[in-house]
Amino acid sequence: MTIASPRTASSLAALGMVNALGRDTGEIWRRLLAADQSHFRLRDDLVPERRLWIGEVEGELPRIPARLRRYACRNNALTLAALEQIESVIAEAIAAVGRDRVGVVMGTSTSGVSDAEAAIRHRERTGRLAEEFDYDQLEFGGAAGFIAHLLEIEGPAYTISTACSSGARSLASARELIDLGICDAVIAGATDSICGLTANGFSALQVVADGITNPCSANRAGLTLGEGSAIFLVMRGGRGVQLLGVGESSEAHHMSAPDPAGQGAEQAMSAALRDADMAASAIAYLNLHGTGTSLNDVMECAAIGRVFSALPPCSSTKSLVGHTLGAAGAMEAGFCWLMLQAICAGVMPLIPHAYDGVRDPELVPVSLVTPGQQCPAGPVMTNSFGFGGNNCTLVLASASA
Amino acid sequence: MRAARVRSWAAWSPGIEDRDAWRAWCEEPKELAREGRPAANFLPPLLRRRCSGLARIMLSAAFDCCEPEVRAQVATVFASRHGNINESIELLERLARGQALSPTRFSHSVHNAQAGLYSIAADNRQASSSIAAQEDTFGSGWIEALTLLARDPRRPVLLVVGDVPLAATFAALVDEPETSYALALLLEADAPGVGVRIALEHGAPQARRPRWPDALEFLRWFLSDAPRLSLACGRRRWVWERTA
Repeated sequence: MTIASPRTASSLAALGMVNALGRDTGEIWRRLLAADQSHFRLRDDLVPERRLWIGEVEGELPRIPARLRRYACRNNALTLAALEQIESVIAEAIAAVGRDRVGVVMGTSTSGVSDAEAAIRHRERTGRLAEEFDYDQLEFGGAAGFIAHLLEIEGPAYTISTACSSGARSLASARELIDLGICDAVIAGATDSICGLTANGFSALQVVADGITNPCSANRAGLTLGEGSAIFLVMRGGRGVQLLGVGESSEAHHMSAPDPAGQGAEQAMSAALRDADMAASAIAYLNLHGTGTSLNDVMECAAIGRVFSALPPCSSTKSLVGHTLGAAGAMEAGFCWLMLQAICAGVMPLIPHAYDGVRDPELVPVSLVTPGQQCPAGPVMTNSFGFGGNNCTLVLASASA
Repeated sequence: MRAARVRSWAAWSPGIEDRDAWRAWCEEPKELAREGRPAANFLPPLLRRRCSGLARIMLSAAFDCCEPEVRAQVATVFASRHGNINESIELLERLARGQALSPTRFSHSVHNAQAGLYSIAADNRQASSSIAAQEDTFGSGWIEALTLLARDPRRPVLLVVGDVPLAATFAALVDEPETSYALALLLEADAPGVGVRIALEHGAPQARRPRWPDALEFLRWFLSDAPRLSLACGRRRWVWERTA
C-alpha cells in the first residue's frame, strides 16, 4: 500500500542491534524467522535458590574507549555493540547536519546496575567501592550521556526511563525533536542489561517463569528476562521506514500490575492509530507486548479484540529474545523495521509466534503467526506496556512499500 | 525552538512550602535544607506509606501546581537526575548480603514510580514520561515536555523536576548542590500566561559550579524582571527568554 502523506518529516534511516539472538541485524533476522530458542541459558547466580532461563548476549563486548572510562559498564558496552554497526552512517549524518543539530534519546530501565552490584559487593568485602566504578555508569542519564560524549554530539541528550515502554518512547521523542526543528538527526533507541536487581525484583513479584516464556499459552507461567540494545539513526526527511503513529496512556491502576480489562492498552493502540490517521484494518501485523505473564496476555488480547474487528497476524518476540525491559520497545520496533525492510514484491515475511502451541481458551482469540507465514505489505504496530501503568504503542510503515 | 506558556508553578523544599515563601526565597536566597519531606496528605494512606521521600516531594509540587479539575487532564514529565536511586541502592545492599527483596519496595524504586503514583492519585490516564540527563536534567525535562506538547498541542504538560541528595554510598562521586526540592510547571502551547522560549547555545566550555539546582535558578529568573537566563553546561548553554 502507499502512504499518501506521511505525517512525520523524519525516517528511521539505520538500525544497529544486539541481543541473545545475535550480534548484527542479519543474524538476528534469520534467527527470528526460524523462531530459534536454542540460545537461552540457565543461570543460578542471579536469584538465590532459583535457576532462571536468561536471554543474554554471549561473548566479548566492545571495549569502552579509555577516555570514557567513567562510562565503562556492561550496559554501555551493549550500546556500543549496537552503535558500531551503524557508525559510518552516523558519522555521515553528523558531518551533514553539524554536531549541534544531532540529539540523543536513549531508553533504559537498568543503566549500569550490574556494575553497581559488583561495586557494592566489593565494598561489602573490603569496605571500599570497586576502583573502576563511577556514578556515571549507574545514573540513568549516563545511558544517553555516554553516546553524546562518545560521538561528541552537542544537541539535547537525555534518557527516558518508563520501565518497559522506555525504548518506544525514545523513538517517539526523537520524531518530535525533529518535527519541532530542535534536531535534524537523533540517535534514539534503548539498552538494558541483565542484573541481580531486576531478576530478584521480578522474581519477588512472582512474574518470572521457571521455563522459557510461553506467551498466550494455557501453560504460560511468566516472563523470561533478556538483554540487548537497539539503536536507530532517525533523520529529517528520507523515504525509508517512518514512525507514523505514537499512542500513549497511563493506567491510574497499580504500581506493578496492568489493569485486567486492558483499558490502558486499548487507549494506547487507538491513540496510535489516530496519530497515524489510519483505520485499524490498515494494520498488517501486530508485535505483541506478549510477556507471557498471566495478566498481561489476558488484558492485551482483550484490548486487541476491542480495537480490531478483523484481527491482524500477531506475534510476541519475548519467547525468542526474552523480555529486554527498558530496551524492549526499541528492540521490537527494530524487529518491525527489519520486517518492513524485508518486503519483496508487496509481500512481507512475518516473525512467528514461538510457544508450546497450547492456546489458552480463556484469552480473547488473536491470530498468532505460524512459521513461514507471510502477508501483503502494510503498516505494522508494536505494543509496549510498562510497569507503573505506562503504555506506548507505535505504528511504523515503509514509505516505499 | 518552540515557546511554551507557564500557566502556573509550585515548588517544595523543607521549610519553603508555599508560593509566598518561594517569592521571598527568590528575592533573597538562603541555604536550602538537605533533608525533609512534605505531609502529602492528598495521597491515600496506603500509597503514601510506600512513597519514597522524593516521590512525596515531587507529587506535592505537582498537586500544588494544578487545580483539581486539571490534574487528570495533563500529560506529565517527571525529570530527576537521581530519581529513586537511593531506594535502589538499599535494595542492592540487601542483595549483596544475600537478603530477599520486597516486591513493593522494588516496584516503588523504579525511575517512573512518581509517574505511576501521580497517575493513580490524580486518576490521570494521559501520556507520561520520566527522564534523567545528569547535570542537564532540568533543561532536558523542558525539551521532553515540548515533545509532548507537540504531540497534542491542546493538552497542557505538567513538568515536575526534583531530586534529593544522593545516598552516602555514592555521594562522593557527584559534585552538585545537595538539597531536597521539586519544582512543578504547568506548560501550555498557546494560552494566557508568561511565554518562555528555550534554546541550546553552543560555544567554548564554561566552568560552572551552580549554587542552586537549575530548576530553582529558573524559578528565580522567572519571578524576576531579567529578560534572559543562561545556564552553562559543558560546551553548551541552556537559554530561556521571555516571549512577547
